[in-house]
Amino acid sequence: MTRPGSAQFGRTDLPEKQRIALKKAIRWELFTIVYTSITITVVAFVVGGSQAMRTAWIEDMLSLLPQLAFLTAVIFVRRRPSVKHPYGLHRAMAVGHLVAGIALLAVGLNLAVEAATGLIAAEHPTIGTVQLFGQTIWLGWLMIAVMVIVVVGPVFIYGPAKAKLAPVLHNKLLYADADMAKADWQTNAASIVGVLGIGLGIWWLDGAAALFISIGIVWDGVRNTKGAVIDLMDQRARSYDDKKPHPLAGAITGYLRSLPWVVDAGVRLRDEGQVFHVEAFVVPRRAKVRTEALSAASEGITRLDWKVQDVVVVPVEELPSEADRALGG
Amino acid sequence: MLACLAALWLAACGVQVPSDPDGTLDRVSGGELRVGAVEEPGLVETEGPSPEGPLPELVRGFADTVDARVTWRVGSEETLVTALEDGELDLVIGGFTDQTPWIERAGLTRGYRNIEHADGRSLVLLVPMGENAFLSALERSLDEEVGG
Repeated sequence: MTRPGSAQFGRTDLPEKQRIALKKAIRWELFTIVYTSITITVVAFVVGGSQAMRTAWIEDMLSLLPQLAFLTAVIFVRRRPSVKHPYGLHRAMAVGHLVAGIALLAVGLNLAVEAATGLIAAEHPTIGTVQLFGQTIWLGWLMIAVMVIVVVGPVFIYGPAKAKLAPVLHNKLLYADADMAKADWQTNAASIVGVLGIGLGIWWLDGAAALFISIGIVWDGVRNTKGAVIDLMDQRARSYDDKKPHPLAGAITGYLRSLPWVVDAGVRLRDEGQVFHVEAFVVPRRAKVRTEALSAASEGITRLDWKVQDVVVVPVEELPSEADRALGG
Repeated sequence: MLACLAALWLAACGVQVPSDPDGTLDRVSGGELRVGAVEEPGLVETEGPSPEGPLPELVRGFADTVDARVTWRVGSEETLVTALEDGELDLVIGGFTDQTPWIERAGLTRGYRNIEHADGRSLVLLVPMGENAFLSALERSLDEEVGG
């Protein structure tokens, strides 16, 4: 598992389970891009005069960003650490996450303003008819049909699939992507409400639906930007859904304390993307510590989990106050 | 499909979809259709007592389907579009195509290429924004007369 030499430099190969999950994730991302491209093309034919439809359409385009960010980042995170990039390029994932978050935020705000000004100016959305197989039908019915059909992909097919892979890979970008896909039905439902509103002569329902959808985009932007920035600022490593501190901190300090020559231990864990960078502090029983013991301790940590392969064990007289002693875990 | 079910359900409830927020189609039916005409050689001739040409003919055809009497007003594009916005007119005709910049201020029908003297242009008629029942009735009549 570990390369000869030491466990001090992170690795970029993955264990079997994660390798398969990553392969699947890449395939799902490619599938999503194809599916979404088809959706965008189909919706383009029916987008018409509805602001809600237009907003949902632009959201579809934006939803390509996380996939593109993920696929780009995957190329980089595979690269081995070097003198130039001593931690490897794992942060590419967080950078992609940040870019996607900012884009969602900016475009979402723009769409929200557009919807609000349309409502204030009392713009009545105009939707006429289309000729389909010699029949003249109201375009609104087609819009509703399309929005019902295209929601199947994100909500029932690729959203849940990616949500299953994200925890295996400890990949927050993938998790956020899956989360947004699963919430896509809200967008489609809102645009259907907007179009039906137009159909019933309640013109403002369309603008209200557009506003609802764009606020959803802004919210996604805020969440993703915040998550990415916090990770780039090296907050203490947390679980893939950011809900709790990562349990590995406890596992590592527990392991170190179980060593006979160690009195107490603490860690500084940072999330590099899919993997962690570990600085472990140990208070030894005696003043003298054998380097073999330190190497053995770092190797022991790397055996705990595939995510912790970049480990430094430092003997100290006293634990630094900011080190996580993880006594609760 | 869901859309069809929704359509059936709404029809069963006696709701008209699409319908007009300002009730244009209801008002025009059996009443007065107020049309603005912009002079356009070959399409709208405004010399006579009432406008003549392929477009006024189409308007008269539509008026017949909803049992309306047409009253005409001749003017420049901006004057007539403003009147349309202010609710003084129900329809504006002239040499408008589907690329018209008036899309910001008026609703457009689909483009029709088979109108006489269209010369390859995809011609549209201007309607008040958001009066979708009126627009749909108009487009249905145009589909009958000059095809999609």
